[in-house]
Amino acid sequence: MREACDVVIIGAGHNGLTLGAYLARSGLDVIVLERRHEEGGGLCTEELTQAGFLHNVHANYHTFVDMAPPVHDLEVRSHGIEYVRPEVQMASIYDDGTALTVHADIDKTVESMARFSEVDAQTFRRLYDEAHGFVDLLLGTLMYQPPMSVKELTRALAQFGVEDRSEFLGVKLRRETINEFLDQHFTNDKIKAHLAFHASVCSYTTDVKGLAIGFPLLVGKINNWHLCVGGSHRLAHALWRDLAQHGGVMISDADVSTIMVESGRAVGVTLSSGEQITARKAVVSTVDVEQTFLRFLNKDAVDVELREKVENKIAHKDWTLFSVHAAMNRLPEYEAAEFDPDVNRAWVVNLGYSSPAELNEDWRLIRAGKVPDPRPNAAVNSLYDPTDAPEGYYTGLLRQFAPFEVNGVGAGEWDNMGRWYGERCLDVWKRYAPNLTEDAYVDWVPFTPLDIERKMPNMVRGDWMMGEISLDNMLDQRPLPELGQYRTPIEGLYMGGSTQHPHGFITFGPGYNALQVMAEDLNIDPWWRQI
Amino acid sequence: MADVYTPEWYDLVKEAINNRVAGMDGLPPETLHIAVDIEGDGVSPYVDEASSRHFLIRIAKGACEWYREVDEAAQSTDEIKLDYRFVGPASEFDAVVGGVIDPIDAALGGVIKVRGDMRFLMRQAEHVQVLLDAYTHGVQTDWPKGEPPYA
Repeated sequence: MREACDVVIIGAGHNGLTLGAYLARSGLDVIVLERRHEEGGGLCTEELTQAGFLHNVHANYHTFVDMAPPVHDLEVRSHGIEYVRPEVQMASIYDDGTALTVHADIDKTVESMARFSEVDAQTFRRLYDEAHGFVDLLLGTLMYQPPMSVKELTRALAQFGVEDRSEFLGVKLRRETINEFLDQHFTNDKIKAHLAFHASVCSYTTDVKGLAIGFPLLVGKINNWHLCVGGSHRLAHALWRDLAQHGGVMISDADVSTIMVESGRAVGVTLSSGEQITARKAVVSTVDVEQTFLRFLNKDAVDVELREKVENKIAHKDWTLFSVHAAMNRLPEYEAAEFDPDVNRAWVVNLGYSSPAELNEDWRLIRAGKVPDPRPNAAVNSLYDPTDAPEGYYTGLLRQFAPFEVNGVGAGEWDNMGRWYGERCLDVWKRYAPNLTEDAYVDWVPFTPLDIERKMPNMVRGDWMMGEISLDNMLDQRPLPELGQYRTPIEGLYMGGSTQHPHGFITFGPGYNALQVMAEDLNIDPWWRQI
Repeated sequence: MADVYTPEWYDLVKEAINNRVAGMDGLPPETLHIAVDIEGDGVSPYVDEASSRHFLIRIAKGACEWYREVDEAAQSTDEIKLDYRFVGPASEFDAVVGGVIDPIDAALGGVIKVRGDMRFLMRQAEHVQVLLDAYTHGVQTDWPKGEPPYA
């Protein structure tokens, strides 16, 4: 059987669906292909433990809600999406029983920080105000446009005298780590630890040179974390509905085996079933670079030099996540609630990082393939979304920074140690919330770094950002300079997934930015650009 | 000298822009249309509270070809496709014109919102600086109803 359409999109994650929906709304005939049994990619919610308990297997935190243009353009909320912005967004609980809480109301966050350091609290207030003020401009300049080069950005920042105008922003950030930024501006270790932890959860490793450049933006949206009611997968449904309502088609269980290339132009795909789907205008891959160029494309279709770069130079994160998904019959009651009662209402809780040095030590261990003593973060979605568990029950999610390959014996070791490491993580949770005894759990399952790759092969080595987060792999250099503008050397073939700028996370950015480039190439009227 | 936001004042701004860009190298060849929406905020005496004043400006090859005050917020049409929009409270626009706050600070701080292709503005930073300098320092402005900063 041979089908034909205008655009074939490989991968029905949020970027593929977003791009597909825009193109369908633009009048193009779009088919989105998904290898798995349903759409969503990282927007994956499953009853991993028991029936009725909805666990977000990958994406849990939606931090770009109301900032990302597709949320408005595609009328996501009209497709049954409800977001909750937890009042107490995040907390850190320290070993001495104290706790710091981050609130949707930034005044309350400043009050919480002031209990540790009045000076740092005021510094945070200035940083937040400044960063929050320019967040629109930064998002418009950096996130939701095909990327500029670091050189161009640097020149413009200098021309506009940004360094002289800002206490926190500056060209020098591109040479600094987040740790260095924190040391320059803050004094209290616990406050620094919380801000470093927050950056890490956003995948910005705190000891990597150059990542300070992204830190102010992270702070500018530190209180914009949202929970998707009914599970993150609902967003995938909403995007799919929008695609379908505008004539697009999503086909699941569609395993692409080949991108067909004729006379140097991508003209469609072949599925492993043998079915062919031809594309009159474009083929877009939203999956990883490796599958796209080493598996889907025949060797003779890819320039030798590019093929070698894909084989050897694609950079992946050097840490990943180990998770425990729990079905619970009680909420955690933290001892630190005596210090700050709001910790019991905090959506995401850092359990134990009290200083940046402790995080640094864990990065060192993880890079050496060691599994650190757990300092997991705990998210209880049911606090703000009671629909994710049966009445009187709750879901819990522990996440721990971890290596992909363990102790030099490979990732396979996770199959032997997942349950053991999960128990250790739960023990840590109980240390801070003593009511979480063994009988608090109806059930729980580990979800290891290896499980990430097994479930989502495009998250190579458990790399949930689909590419290292570093200055060398940002903007127009991501994932490689020749692929950094969403086009590829093969005419009609585009890259539109999280391998591209800006990166993974539920940003919608890669799909949205690929759209801008395709609109230019295919003469699509950019109706979404509302000036 | 001209009263702020009067046709005479805008003519002087236009003249100041065009004097500054004359002879500049590397001006963008594109023709750009810019919408400006100055929103009454109860502080500025120059725009009634709960109303707005709207302007449309055409920049061609770096120079101001024309400006128009329009009745409603300008929208893209078949003839004129908007490239940028600047929106903000009137007292903030007044403060920029009066030299009380810097226009870059106003944009960076989100006080005056900018919509459009920011990459182009970043790449044309030098030209943008010249336009802003003409707007903020190019004209001697009269403030018949009072001058920013307002009490």
